[in-house]
Amino acid sequence: MEVSHSVKERTIAENSLVILLQGLHGHVTTVDLRDESTATGRITNVDAFMNVRLTKVTFTDRQGTVSHLDELFVTGRNIRYVHIPDEVDIRATIERQLQAIHRVRYFGGRDKGRKEFPRAKHK
Amino acid sequence: GGAMSFLKRFPPPAEGVRHQQPDTEAVLAGRTLGAGTLYIAESRLSWLENSGVGFSLDYPTISLHAVSRDLNAYPWEHLYVMVNAKFEEETKEAPMAEGEEEEDSDDDVEPIAEFRFVPSDKSALEAMFSAMCECQALHPDPDDEDSDNDYEGEEYDVEAHELEQGNIPTFYTYEEGLSHLTAEGQATLERLEGMLAQSVSSQYNMAGVRTEDSIREFEDGMEVDMAPVVAGQFEDAEVDH
Repeated sequence: MEVSHSVKERTIAENSLVILLQGLHGHVTTVDLRDESTATGRITNVDAFMNVRLTKVTFTDRQGTVSHLDELFVTGRNIRYVHIPDEVDIRATIERQLQAIHRVRYFGGRDKGRKEFPRAKHK
Repeated sequence: GGAMSFLKRFPPPAEGVRHQQPDTEAVLAGRTLGAGTLYIAESRLSWLENSGVGFSLDYPTISLHAVSRDLNAYPWEHLYVMVNAKFEEETKEAPMAEGEEEEDSDDDVEPIAEFRFVPSDKSALEAMFSAMCECQALHPDPDDEDSDNDYEGEEYDVEAHELEQGNIPTFYTYEEGLSHLTAEGQATLERLEGMLAQSVSSQYNMAGVRTEDSIREFEDGMEVDMAPVVAGQFEDAEVDH
């Protein structure tokens, strides 16, 4: 479960629906942009500012011309809609992301270096 | 074609350059601006033709960027950058891509400029893309009206706030912890590690290391299963003395 290394970003995510989008890592998703173009691809990253990184993208521009992009980064500002895939359980995704954030917060805020203690049990 | 008046002479960026790609062609709306060097810096994206003139793009104006290897869409693999701004293009005597004239007149509200950066070294595209992602993330949208992120004054550090309550302990990994030690602390650590190395059964309470006893000091009610401190725990740590 990928969680941002940044305290500020974790806090932002925890308090907004961006946390749902972050739970879509690995899912093929369609993003509608402000200028009415659309991009369909696999989400590899969503940050707290809703910047979305996609891979293997089918991009349809506003004239309807289709092209393929290996990688695409769209700024949050330019996203109008994100189509949550049907197979995604929204509530479970949000809960999982929140748990991941809390694990990082309480038991070791860095991925690098060893965790010196076993994981805590959650009640 | 006509001169691109937005091209200016300026020195290449010196600071915060995450990636630099020489021998890169810049193309605006299908017309080449020449060959030069692309500088992906934290403050802005710059391209300088080999003659020394070029332009810069500010990240907040960049809507998206992408790696395109689709040769049907464009005959060379490139970094595509869409900018939310107007750039002066050549005069009408030069041929324009089809449909562009109409596009321009429709776009009073939403000016769009499409840049393509075509490196001679195609294998660099991933690095160029990633560098741009990193730099873009440094420029979050200040006009984000949806955000409740009212961090007035100092950045609100939820975790530091909770630490103040005394409930949640901070754990440092070994490398991080070292950097937080004072000279005295480091001397203490060295001494203790020396003691560990010598003795097998260690029941010393080391600073920052929780044992069964020290758990009860924390009243947070969070049950944590802790293995007792085992001698040699730092054995595999890399210690530069």
